[in-house]
Amino acid sequence: MSASSLATEALAVFAKELRSELRSRVAVNSIGLFGLTTLVAVAYQIGPYQIHEQDRPHLLAAMLWIILFFAALSGLQRVFVKEEDAHTAKTLRLAARPLAVWAGKLLFNVALLAALQAFLVPLYGVLMGMQVRGVVPLIALLAAGCVAMALTATIVAAIIARASGSGTLFAILAVPLMLPLLVMLIAGTRVAMTSPRWSDVLPALQGVGALAGVTLVASVYLFPVVWHD
Amino acid sequence: MATVRITFSGLGKRFGSRTVLKGLSGELRARCVVAVTGPNGSGKSTLLNLLAGVMRPSSGSVSYLATDTPVPRHRWHTLSGVAGPDMAVYEELSALENLRFFARLRGLARTDGELERVLADLGLAARDARRLVATFSSGMKQRVKLAQAVVHEPAVLLLDEPSSNLDETGHDTIAALVKSLRGRAAVAIATNDPREMAWGDERIQLGN
Repeated sequence: MSASSLATEALAVFAKELRSELRSRVAVNSIGLFGLTTLVAVAYQIGPYQIHEQDRPHLLAAMLWIILFFAALSGLQRVFVKEEDAHTAKTLRLAARPLAVWAGKLLFNVALLAALQAFLVPLYGVLMGMQVRGVVPLIALLAAGCVAMALTATIVAAIIARASGSGTLFAILAVPLMLPLLVMLIAGTRVAMTSPRWSDVLPALQGVGALAGVTLVASVYLFPVVWHD
Repeated sequence: MATVRITFSGLGKRFGSRTVLKGLSGELRARCVVAVTGPNGSGKSTLLNLLAGVMRPSSGSVSYLATDTPVPRHRWHTLSGVAGPDMAVYEELSALENLRFFARLRGLARTDGELERVLADLGLAARDARRLVATFSSGMKQRVKLAQAVVHEPAVLLLDEPSSNLDETGHDTIAALVKSLRGRAAVAIATNDPREMAWGDERIQLGN
């Protein structure tokens, strides 16, 4: 089968995920509510004026990614768990190639995370008085972080889908895998807040890209084994 | 549609320390219906899962041969259709959306009219085709499940308790489906229903 048919299958899985989510809104509600609640709590307790000027880039960058990370954890694992819970996983296994399933689910998680970022980051910026000198480098960092986090979350979600207590297992596996990613994203965001130059953000972007690349290659080899018995 | 033959030899499956199947050999041929029978837990569903490629055997092997040429495992799903009690279709989609999805996964560009005909052949009216599966009775869900198994006109059809949840009309519909496939496909039916056993040209008795 050609790459174009693989893309068609992956897009069919993505479209199915999107349609299902638009009807049930389980992941959107979970991620959105968690993100919004955390943001409001942080903004209410700390707000834009409780942090010293010199600490602002460090703390605001760290809090932004912590909110995004935990909001993402609450919803991204569902892509495979819901297939197992609804007994549709076997039907899907028998109808599609593993890589098409993985790619479709990954696309959906990227879309979900991108929507979360589009909703939460501007709100965070306003509520926390976040000033960014390198807006375009920050957007690039957010995009890279979105893809890298979705890649990690998707393969971990596939690994834990058939286990009992999958929610706990997801956190146990995802946190150590995402920790280096978070460190780089926080460092990059801090730099983007203080400098408009691409060259300053580039090391963080390269690090995130490298981690995403490793996860991508590992997922392509690992997923077919995980997906089938 | 290619003529497909499935051969299996020395097939065994263990779940932990429990052996479900051991040293089973045989074949499924085109234009032949095989009834797989045996008591509960004898491995009927396991055998179908192994033949479908959704489960790997602990010992032995399964081969798909399309006009005597081996078919790689990753292509089996394009040739086979499977329906069983441990499978489900998407409840948040309509019957038609489900079928459209499974047709696309198999690289088919079917019109809604064609898909509605597949559903109609299995006893689902056009107005039901556009309703969410979540609103269906278990019998109607079973019909959608069977529809996704035959939407790509498979060369191999593996049915596990196909009449479960179906009324008498539904049973007749499955009988008509098996009759229509008898002339071209290899069909295996796992069942303990004497009426379904009677559809088989051959029988694999498990659990002896």
